[in-house]
Amino acid sequence: MRVILTLVRKDIANFLRNRPAVVITFLVPIALIYIFGFVFGLNGKDNGPTGIRLGVVNESASPAAQKLVDALKGEKTFRVISVDYTAKPEHPLTEADARRLIHDREFNFALVIPSDFIPDRGLGLRLKILSDPRNEIETQTVNGLLQKTIFSNVPQLLGQSLQASAKRFLGDERTKKFNADLAGAVTSAFGGDAEETRQTIESGGIGAVLGGDSATANTQPKADFFSRLVKIENVQIAGKDVKSPAATRVVGGWAMMFLLFAVSAGSAAFFDEKNAGLFQRLLSAPVRRSQLLWSRFVYGILLGLVQLTTLFCAGRLLYGIDVFGHFGNLVVVCTAAAAACAAFGMFIAAFSPNAQAANGLSTFLVLTMSATGGAWFPIGLMPEFMQRIAKFTLVYWSMEGFSRVLWAGNSLVELLPTVGILLAIAAGVMAVAIWRFNRGAVFD
Amino acid sequence: MLITRDLVKRYGPQLALDGVSLDIGRGEFFGLLGPNGAGKSTFMSLVAGLRPPDAGSLTLDGVAVTTADPSTRTALGLVPQSIALFEDLSAEQNLRVFGELYGLRGALLRERIDEALEAVQLADRRRDQVKKFSGGMQRRLNLVVSLLHRPKLLLCDEPTVGIDPQSRNAIFDFLEARNREGLTIIYSTHYMEEATRLCSRIGIIDHGRIHALGTLEELLTRLPFADEIAFPATPFTAEFAARLAEHGELTTADGEHLFRSRPEFKTSAFYALAEECQLPARLFVTRRPTLEALFLHLTGRTLRE
Repeated sequence: MRVILTLVRKDIANFLRNRPAVVITFLVPIALIYIFGFVFGLNGKDNGPTGIRLGVVNESASPAAQKLVDALKGEKTFRVISVDYTAKPEHPLTEADARRLIHDREFNFALVIPSDFIPDRGLGLRLKILSDPRNEIETQTVNGLLQKTIFSNVPQLLGQSLQASAKRFLGDERTKKFNADLAGAVTSAFGGDAEETRQTIESGGIGAVLGGDSATANTQPKADFFSRLVKIENVQIAGKDVKSPAATRVVGGWAMMFLLFAVSAGSAAFFDEKNAGLFQRLLSAPVRRSQLLWSRFVYGILLGLVQLTTLFCAGRLLYGIDVFGHFGNLVVVCTAAAAACAAFGMFIAAFSPNAQAANGLSTFLVLTMSATGGAWFPIGLMPEFMQRIAKFTLVYWSMEGFSRVLWAGNSLVELLPTVGILLAIAAGVMAVAIWRFNRGAVFD
Repeated sequence: MLITRDLVKRYGPQLALDGVSLDIGRGEFFGLLGPNGAGKSTFMSLVAGLRPPDAGSLTLDGVAVTTADPSTRTALGLVPQSIALFEDLSAEQNLRVFGELYGLRGALLRERIDEALEAVQLADRRRDQVKKFSGGMQRRLNLVVSLLHRPKLLLCDEPTVGIDPQSRNAIFDFLEARNREGLTIIYSTHYMEEATRLCSRIGIIDHGRIHALGTLEELLTRLPFADEIAFPATPFTAEFAARLAEHGELTTADGEHLFRSRPEFKTSAFYALAEECQLPARLFVTRRPTLEALFLHLTGRTLRE
């Protein structure tokens, strides 16, 4: 028993001295659990996603439309964008603006409330949802939440629809008399102020009688009933012609994660060469330190380019992803993404004292970057501040590039901003890495 | 060929080289002998241009060696202490990589690779991965990689660490042959046998300072005794050993006494005293003093410390 205890004590001491192992064992899971907690609503009292950008085009002059807009603005899930902020001066969003902004990836969803939101003939409402469903989970979530918000307000909105119809068929005077009589009947039966009840009925409050408690309006039988009354036209702005939507959506994320792992393994190999005395030997030849670093960087880019291209080609073979239809642009994005990843690998090597530390640091960063950058699930499902953090990760911009090529079919010119950001990340991270290499002891 | 003046190198508070000045001529086989941590590898790294000195100067054929300018390095070959090879690559691929880094191309490179592999008896294993080689084979390849570009000066930093005697002898033969062809070699070691066998001139280094410099014969004249006499350490010789102590330096190790006499204590007096103690002459073995003894004399430490 004493022998076993001694050996156990030795293992514990070894483990505690190996800081990278401690980080991987405790810190990485905690960080990932925290990130997943945001997605699944475990952090804080508010559940579910918040701040999903939703364009709202209100072409209707009816107060009911404005009520719907107000209701959407009251939902924490959405951040309603009702003006074209890219135009100078800003102006209320039109459908054409919304289509353009969705195409430009300013937001992925827009609700259009058309001028015939409450049709002249018949009872019901008309709405149009514009979307770029590049992420299936996010699309389903947004559609569900939009329908919930609309249906929650349908009784009120339908009341207005009924009032409008009544005015058309009965005329103003008769409708007013009808409303006054109805208010009188309601107050005589249930009490209350007759004038107040009349005003409520005229503003559409009668719909509550049809729909009952709006808070329960999304229950299944009522939802079915409302779905017959509310005609929602879904218009897909991007990705209509994508051959294999599900695979096209996910392949970029997985490809990026594995590339980062491959590059990280290269960082650890850096220390193997150092420990073997190879740096000494190489630097005793007519080789400069900078040449040694840049050769690693170029190798990282080549490795990344080949790996990403191979993975996308595998996606073509296995799932029919349209790789060859956009091959040129895909190579451009892959090269920029590979450059950013190679710089990341150099960064890991520059800031790690040894191979073990490099492995620990890279595992931590790769997993957290993949999670926050959207490689595993859509960042739209995370809180707004996490979405802002995501934009500082190379995973986010790489996936954005892949999505623009394979999903939206963007041209090379349209890709330039994303490619530019990836190259800027590569340049920035590489500059920090070289600064660190020059100050560190890697070459000693 | 190589001139160093007052080289100083510090690592934080630790002084690794403390004013080292050396003149190494063309064709010399110069040995740098000292224990671990004496400053040998630091000296090598400064000559190879891997690190800058904190003070002092270093010129190779009149050209200053600096870390910033790699041009002087084509004249150098460094054999590091570790086996600095790409172990997943083959012997031939390793030679090709380093040959190309030194500017060799095409037929000339192929010719040099063939010569190098022949010279270290690895021609038949040229396409094997280096990690599949024995330690001795790796050491031989480690050596020959540094000679591919035909340097004027070869820096060997303890190139035989951890290998079998056969491979060690093969490396010695190889280096001696290259030296006979005119190659200047600086060889650092803590094995006095290596320095004794190989080097035409030896510098004894400890704590970053050169304590003695010269040929083997010149160095040994610095000892205050001519010979060492060994005899068994037994109860039978105990009285004799006690009486000898006043005439010189007596050390005991591994069941053996080693006596180094003072100059005034003649060999005849030694044997007279032995006869007085009734010890037969066949008990005694006279040896030539070694660099180990010189090192002990100069520094008060052994080379293995």
